[in-house]
Amino acid sequence: MMQTIDTEVSSQASIRREKRRLLLAMSAYLSPIIVIVFVFVFAPLGIILFFSFLKTGPYGQIVYEFTVENIKAVLVGAYGKIFLQSIYLALQTNILCILIGYPISYFIARYGGRFKALWVFLIIVPSWSSYLIRLYALKTIVGTSGVINDTLINLGFIAEPLQILYTPFAVMMGLVYAWLPFMILPIYASLEGLDPAVLEAATDLGAPPVRRFFRVTLPLTRGGLLAGSILVFIPTVGEWLVPHIFGGSKVIMAGTLVAQKFTVAGNIPQGSSLAFMLAATLILILYLTIKFGGREALERAL
Amino acid sequence: MKRRQIASKVLGGLSALIVVFLWAPVVLIIVFSFSSNKYGVAWEGFTLSWYAKLLQNTDVKDALFRSLVVAGVTVVVSTLVGTMTAYGLYKLSFRGKQFLRTSILLPLVFPSVVTGSALLVFFTRLIHIPLGFPSIIIAHIVFCSPLAVFIILGRMQRFDWSWEEAAMDLGATPVRTFMRVTAPQLLPAIAASAMLIFPWSFDDFVITYFVAGVGSTTLPIYVFSQLRFGSTPVLNTIGTLFVTVTMLGLILLGLLQKREKR
Repeated sequence: MMQTIDTEVSSQASIRREKRRLLLAMSAYLSPIIVIVFVFVFAPLGIILFFSFLKTGPYGQIVYEFTVENIKAVLVGAYGKIFLQSIYLALQTNILCILIGYPISYFIARYGGRFKALWVFLIIVPSWSSYLIRLYALKTIVGTSGVINDTLINLGFIAEPLQILYTPFAVMMGLVYAWLPFMILPIYASLEGLDPAVLEAATDLGAPPVRRFFRVTLPLTRGGLLAGSILVFIPTVGEWLVPHIFGGSKVIMAGTLVAQKFTVAGNIPQGSSLAFMLAATLILILYLTIKFGGREALERAL
Repeated sequence: MKRRQIASKVLGGLSALIVVFLWAPVVLIIVFSFSSNKYGVAWEGFTLSWYAKLLQNTDVKDALFRSLVVAGVTVVVSTLVGTMTAYGLYKLSFRGKQFLRTSILLPLVFPSVVTGSALLVFFTRLIHIPLGFPSIIIAHIVFCSPLAVFIILGRMQRFDWSWEEAAMDLGATPVRTFMRVTAPQLLPAIAASAMLIFPWSFDDFVITYFVAGVGSTTLPIYVFSQLRFGSTPVLNTIGTLFVTVTMLGLILLGLLQKREKR
């Protein structure tokens, strides 16, 4: 009897010691990231949530009085419509990126041979070099006196230059241009991770190529599709530069609104409410994606 | 067999088209940076004068210097934080670990305007960090560290941990084990994350624009301020240098990985 109590006490002490050791190790390795996450991600989000409920004075200064007008404007007002449009545009962009990105990833993974690294290199290089200058160059290409219009006019297909810029189509093209590599790379990674034996098994069991693709390859690369969609869709909803450059004042997205409130109007309460609602919307979407898409598949791809 | 060949041809053609789409603006920038057309939008004959102009431009030099300092500090701090975090996340299990992992993902996927504006309000209204170098560097560490975490964590999951156990069994202290066994094996991943973070930090415009305040012009902010008046040949030269440096970096990274495989 005595002995069992003794061992219990000592095992409790050892559990406590183990706990203390874990806490020490955690604080040693994880304290910097915990500071980053809690102080520089969550606290700023909290602050903009707080400012969302404040009024703005006639000169744009903050008036410390409670109001729900800013949030209401996003939920039901004109801003709400722009939010929905942004989500719609981002969704279209995402689908387009999958439709373009999947075949390319498939081609590189399956037929790339010894040029695989070269293909990946060719896709990465443009996306890692001056975003701003590239977007402006693309704008020059599709502009009214750009390469595309000049060629079409010289070939006699059209008489007047096509107005491509400042349309939703132009914005979508810019978004696809900017974000496509972020769809291709995770899909490519998940295709590369496929076990060839599984594909062989499908063929041996008599599955025709098309059936094999839809029943085996596609489901097994779901993680890559999911990761790519998160990397493309979420930042796209809040994109500012692309609609700024390709949409001008004609096509406005949620990110444009946030940037405009902060950098032009200097209206912190309204800007904060827009930024916070954007963040909240995207956290919700991220949560739903992880919940219904499966965390495991996602993390394998990331 | 025939069908397979057709499929590969069609897919290959499509892939080539997309690569052309991605490269067209880049090629245009490079070509026009050598063109004597003074608006930088047409070919009028070869010249190097824009590069000479670039070298004389003190605004560009100042901005370049600032961007290099910011990116340099960001790379060092972020890879350090990333390595520690990845090691902690891999080795320890504790309550709230999933929550922490998902939270680390947030700055990586949040739109830049959200991160930028939230940090701006936080810096100016709550903790009063001066806008400029301090605010820019903190903001960059916030959005770059998560990238390092996930790159290094990905590597750790394919890591042969028995080496570490062996070293410990043979009597090496934890610190010695880490320095002599674990760190060398992680070095390729650490190098890879550093080389991905550098251009990310160096090229960031939106977040920097929010938190930079007045007078702290980094290179992308300089580019943005010039682009308001349309494209210029000097911007084309900056773009060309960007592409060149990125290509060299990626080639270096590729060589590193090749060496690692051997």
